[in-house]
Amino acid sequence: MAQLELTNITKSFGGTIAVQNFNLAIETGEFISFLGPSGCGKTTTLRMVAGFEIPTSGTVTLDGVDLTNLPPNKRNMGMVFQSYALFPNMTAAQNVGYGLKVAGKPKDEIDQRVDEMLELIQMRDFSRRYPNQLSGGQQQRLALARSLAIRPKVLLLDEPLSALDAKIRLELRQEIRRIQRQLGITTIYVTHDQEEAFSLSDRVVVMSRGLIQQVDTPIQIYNHPASDFVAEFVGHINLLPVEVAQAKEGLVRLGSQLIRAGQFEHLNGRPVRLAVRPEELKSGFAEGANNLTGKIESVTYLGAIVRVHVDVDGHLVSLEMFNERSLNIPAVGQPYQINFPVEACWLTNGEKE
Amino acid sequence: MKTQKKNTWAIFWAVLAMLYFFVPMLGTFIFSLRMKRGVLSFQAYQSVLADSRFLESFRYSATMGIITVLVSVLLLLPTVYWIYVKVPWMRPAMDIITILPFVVPVIVLVFGLIRTFGRPPFQLTLTTFGTDILMTAGYVIITMPYMYRAIDVGMRSMDVRTLTEAAQSLGSNWFQVLTQVILPNLRIAVLSGALICFATVMGELILADFLVRPALGSYMAGIGRSKAYEPAALAIISYGLTWVCLGLIQYFSRGSQEQQLTGR
Ligand SMILES: Nc1ncnc2c1ncn2[C@@H]1O[C@H](COP(=O)(O)OP(=O)(O)O)[C@@H](O)[C@H]1O
Ligand SMILES: [Mg+2]
Repeated sequence: MAQLELTNITKSFGGTIAVQNFNLAIETGEFISFLGPSGCGKTTTLRMVAGFEIPTSGTVTLDGVDLTNLPPNKRNMGMVFQSYALFPNMTAAQNVGYGLKVAGKPKDEIDQRVDEMLELIQMRDFSRRYPNQLSGGQQQRLALARSLAIRPKVLLLDEPLSALDAKIRLELRQEIRRIQRQLGITTIYVTHDQEEAFSLSDRVVVMSRGLIQQVDTPIQIYNHPASDFVAEFVGHINLLPVEVAQAKEGLVRLGSQLIRAGQFEHLNGRPVRLAVRPEELKSGFAEGANNLTGKIESVTYLGAIVRVHVDVDGHLVSLEMFNERSLNIPAVGQPYQINFPVEACWLTNGEKE
Repeated sequence: MKTQKKNTWAIFWAVLAMLYFFVPMLGTFIFSLRMKRGVLSFQAYQSVLADSRFLESFRYSATMGIITVLVSVLLLLPTVYWIYVKVPWMRPAMDIITILPFVVPVIVLVFGLIRTFGRPPFQLTLTTFGTDILMTAGYVIITMPYMYRAIDVGMRSMDVRTLTEAAQSLGSNWFQVLTQVILPNLRIAVLSGALICFATVMGELILADFLVRPALGSYMAGIGRSKAYEPAALAIISYGLTWVCLGLIQYFSRGSQEQQLTGR
């Protein structure tokens, strides 16, 4: 049985529904991310797990115990906030020890545990500093240590890295993963950053408008997105308007050019779109693959990656290639041939969001 | 050249302002020393301090001041906290409600209090204790704008809601959050509010006059009507008191800055 279960959770604020029909079972020690655009209900869901919001309907159970209506101070869950929320009147050590002090633990035990936690985040030398004497990254590490000091059953993080600059964010991301693995603590991590969610998580919950779109491993979500929303939100993707050419053969037409897209009886006769990731597209001709010809529309160097837009019969197709020395891209306006494997593309009939 | 010119003007205005403030004070001070004809002496001060009614009224007002501060903090701190955490949309309404004591004249407040509590069923004016309760209530209302604003500013300088949630997730109940997390970070705000409250109560005279209690304000007004030099000495004493209050605010806020080097 799963450790933490969210069953049929719905939450509405007045008239607006923030979260709808949320079902999720989380195993002990699992690292789960809630990923989605701003306002999709990630924070609200996390706050219901923490006890700061009561679900309009549905239940939250931990180790088989229903805690839907239990106040947050009785739940034994660690929470890390985007704004750190360290207590300004306490030193680093006092912040980390606060939860144990509230629990009435003896002083020796508190001191020892605080030491241990500061060691874990490599901040022993800073134990006497006040929060405003620490950098953002140090403050957030301290907040993490503070939430873990009480040995919570679940660790909850709400966009913990969003207030930090890129380099620190990357460092701290790895540190969070290391500590989570070391302690084996069940973790829910809220983010709108796909890279963060993918690099950290065992499983990712993609949300949109209060609804779960997909729950799966990062690789599955990237390679087999459950909907156009997921496909577009996670990484980049070409969604090209195509017409059905020969349903039995699995052939569609982009402009005047034929593309083999596999079985699609379920979409027969309807307007459909072809989905293919930009990195699956290659330049040149390849036997057995889908081959298209067009004209170079634009070339953008992003560093390691070169992005090329090709005009194929009036439709823009985007390619991403590694910026290798051998790469030889013609000038804008020149004809260009591209190809991609049949297995790399799929058809959808979803509406564009 | 230009900055030098600016500096000259700045100094000019500063000196002018100082003169505006200090010349009358100096005049009052010198006048208060002239009780004995021909020589400067502290006779007027001796006369004031020797008057048992002065000490009595001082003690009375100081006691009332402390009680007012305590009641005011106990009333407003949890209220403002609750508003910040649970009903933040109430804040504009609170801003208006707490400014009402400035709008309604004290005299109106006093008549309201006497009319309501001067007769059954809520008669409080029969005993001095009952009257003192009325006094405290009146003082709490009169000083509410200061205390509310002091606490409000303190709360605004920190993220009360998130701090509360952080403390709760670490196991704190509401009382622990308020006393261990919120109050320590509001120390300066509450203290400065308390000192302003205290100073206001020390100088208030209408409430005490109408409820016939021996407050310092009424005593000073009475002296002012009947004597010449003593009121000047009293004025200087109360100036001194105000400065001591301000000094205390400064002293305590410096203490906290040493503890936490920068902003918040
Ligand atoms: N306390 C609240 N009162 C009213 N609406 C809220 C409240 N909290 C969140 N919402 C609404 O619920 C939706 C989801 O919000 P949230 O969970 O914060 O999204 P996310 O964290 O994914 O950005 C939003 O439309 C937001 O406006
Ligand atoms: Mg959020």
